[in-house]
Amino acid sequence: MTQFSYKLLLIGSLLLCSAQTQALDATDIQSFTLDNGMKIIVLEDHSIPNANMYTFWKVGSRNEVPGITGISHFFEHMMFNGAQKYGPKMFDRTMEAAGGANNAYTTENLTVYTDWFPSNSLALMFELEADRIEHLAIDPEMVESERGVVASERSTGLENSNFITLMEEVKASAFRAHPYSWSVIGHESDIQNWSLDDLVEYHKVYYAPNNAVVVVAGDIQLSEVRKLAGTWFAPIPAQAPPKKITTVEPVQKGERRVYVQKASVSTPNVMFAYHLPATSDPDYYAFDLLNNILSEGNSSRLYQALVDKQIALGIDTYLPESFDPNLFYFFAVASPDVSAQTLELALIDAIAKVKENGVTDKELEKAKNLKLMSFYQAMETINGKANTIGTYEMFFGSYNDLFTAPESYKKVTPADIQRVAQTYLVKKNRTVGVLAAEEDTDK
Amino acid sequence: MNTSRSTLIGLSNVVICVCLATASILPSVSFAAANQFSLPLYETVVLKNGLTINLMKQDEVPLITVNAVIRTGAVNDNISGLANLTASGLLLGAGGQSKLKIEQSIDFLGASINAAAGKEGSYVIAEFMSRNSDALLPLVQAIIINPDFDAVEFEKLKQREIAGIERAKESPRNVISRYFDKLVFADHPYGNPVSGNSDSLATITVDDLKSFHSHYYQPANTAISVVGDFDTNDMSKRLETLFGDWQNSEQIKQPDSAKDLPVLSVANVLLVDKSDALESTFIIGGMGISRSNPDYVPLTVINTVLGARFTSWLNDELRVNSGLTYGARSNFVAYSKSGTFQISSFTKTATSKETIDLALKTYARLWETGIDQATLDSAKAYVKGQFPPDYETSSELAGLLSDMFLYGFDKDFINNFESKVDGLTLKESRNLIENNFPKNQLQFVIIGNAAELSDIAATYGKVKQVDIKAVGFYPRAPSLDAAH
Repeated sequence: MTQFSYKLLLIGSLLLCSAQTQALDATDIQSFTLDNGMKIIVLEDHSIPNANMYTFWKVGSRNEVPGITGISHFFEHMMFNGAQKYGPKMFDRTMEAAGGANNAYTTENLTVYTDWFPSNSLALMFELEADRIEHLAIDPEMVESERGVVASERSTGLENSNFITLMEEVKASAFRAHPYSWSVIGHESDIQNWSLDDLVEYHKVYYAPNNAVVVVAGDIQLSEVRKLAGTWFAPIPAQAPPKKITTVEPVQKGERRVYVQKASVSTPNVMFAYHLPATSDPDYYAFDLLNNILSEGNSSRLYQALVDKQIALGIDTYLPESFDPNLFYFFAVASPDVSAQTLELALIDAIAKVKENGVTDKELEKAKNLKLMSFYQAMETINGKANTIGTYEMFFGSYNDLFTAPESYKKVTPADIQRVAQTYLVKKNRTVGVLAAEEDTDK
Repeated sequence: MNTSRSTLIGLSNVVICVCLATASILPSVSFAAANQFSLPLYETVVLKNGLTINLMKQDEVPLITVNAVIRTGAVNDNISGLANLTASGLLLGAGGQSKLKIEQSIDFLGASINAAAGKEGSYVIAEFMSRNSDALLPLVQAIIINPDFDAVEFEKLKQREIAGIERAKESPRNVISRYFDKLVFADHPYGNPVSGNSDSLATITVDDLKSFHSHYYQPANTAISVVGDFDTNDMSKRLETLFGDWQNSEQIKQPDSAKDLPVLSVANVLLVDKSDALESTFIIGGMGISRSNPDYVPLTVINTVLGARFTSWLNDELRVNSGLTYGARSNFVAYSKSGTFQISSFTKTATSKETIDLALKTYARLWETGIDQATLDSAKAYVKGQFPPDYETSSELAGLLSDMFLYGFDKDFINNFESKVDGLTLKESRNLIENNFPKNQLQFVIIGNAAELSDIAATYGKVKQVDIKAVGFYPRAPSLDAAH
């Protein structure tokens, strides 16, 4: 089937919640912490004969420094390339032969490993994970081969996604001090040059049990998880906590602009990025609802102002979850014969309307209903449950916040939304990126 | 943006097929076989007007999915892209309510209604909270039966879609299968790109949509599958009230897609020039299988070994052993009467030849060494273990019921899946490889910098070249050698 949505991206967040629901109850979730500091969260759900294990590590591109940008993501790849008992290729081969599959993803803040398996393979998952957490073997030949894989991953992203191409440049300009400055995949030259020692050190510091939270959800029993965690994860020694990220991005004092030329682009793309507080800030909920009001559904502000008016072919906004203050992204693709400048002015105008006139009660209620719908959709699968629980644990301090989130959303008023828009969506706080086919010239 | 280890998830992205209507009012049957994943209970009702209604209760969350499928798609296009534009056009206002008014109602309730066409089916899919059924069900009915096809909104949609095709071509990954289908099927209806092309869309009028809608959108040509949190009797009555008076009109003309299937007697290479390409994106393949192929399940097991999981031969060779690419895979794309088989990957321009050669060498292992017992056992465990999560949500289950209507398969696909997987032997795998995987006269689409690739392309077959910005998905003239 063809793509359904006018939306340009698929960066839906599962991190949503609202009103009372029977879909998930606080008492459904159990947790315990091993002596080495590793926290295990368990959700029994017997709807299908499957289960999953999501391991959230508090390491992402924010933990990197120039010279080793992208190493968090590269490391994510290396975690599959051989340990003590299960050598190169054996992690995947063993898991797949037992009916399991896996993947992993890296963000600015986190590295997350996901195992999906028939529930009778649970014990094997613990054994496989424990082997690579405690005894990863970093094989020099695998490192060299994996550099090629990651270079290809970087290249295919730039080839196929204007959003990725533009975001990399916009971030680099919006941040000049904080490590959110570089893309998660890192600079091409760093991919070619980090050393074996860099990797060994990274594993020791960040892949310590006290730096992880494990979520197990599905057709399993708490008692079994407790026993297996005791056998396989408890013996892994804790390490000194990683160094804190202390760099604070200096306040931006005026608009910044970047321009990217790409010959095959058919119409200009425009990105705005505004600095905003970390996800732990009380204003997160107001931003999250504003994000919805701006771009969710065809009745949204930006669709109506830009797509319906034939100024843009598509629009989107993106509000990443984040440990440190980060960016609120706007993205639009110009309609044929619409200039980047016209598109930019229309975006500014749509944002100005929120600042000047606020949003209506009805828009706010709509946003809350959209949140509720997304929450239910996440709760429909064991993967949605595991990911949502883990994400809350990471960004809001505790998975219990999943159950207080409805109240936090409920409290947000139209005045709150207008206030955050007026405070943060201002010119001096903005970086503008333009991607177009033509060379950037004085004309 | 997140950066993932792999995008190699899932098996073949099978699409749609045609079948005869199912019998009326099937009794509910319990499929509670022990230790085996089985399809939840559902009821099928066929109304007097021939409309098929499937009802499956799932109450884990208070949501409902409605998936309506109409047996028409790109294969029915008399103007390229008409089926898809008609489906998209359903959402431009209906039953006297404007596009904006409908969108405001849907969004306010946190719901969504989407519509689009595929090769052989057109879909309207609504997802909403069960407490909002009263508001959503009549909207779904109006959208399917009484679309307004508002002229002003249609013009805007058309311009967006035309520009959307240009934009899709900015990403080789988005469009390469459209070129491949055209290369393999040429003028056969399965070669029709669902999107149409920028020239064909420009000629389509509101009257074309109205006539396409009145011809194909008829109750006897439609199934509505509802899955989620509802009372089955109550939902059945509501749907009968809403859709019972919908009348059939003219006799529907369907193409015979089993006819005039191309015979690929020449190895063709379609080289699509993207002059600023950072890499080469390619598909290698040929004719595949139809969705009704009795060996569909065992063939997915064999394809899993070759290219549909992380440790598959293709991914192992092209990614893990050689670092040439981020991912390599293979799949069958099955339609009702035919289909394609595709190996796909990408690599930097400089390693294009090395990567394509390695893909071909790896593919040849199917015949040269075949599959060993341990690998077969592993693949069986893998597809069985990964099967239940494919049918976990109301939306996935409703999609499955729509596919059953279009393809003509039934609950046995789910309930006998494990036994069919288990039944595959090494000997049988050799027969299946021999009879279903294209071995010779392979077809190639390569999208990349043609100046760097034209000599390489010529080593694989007879080359045609087209600029990616040229209209459509194939060179205009002379026509391709994918002879009939």
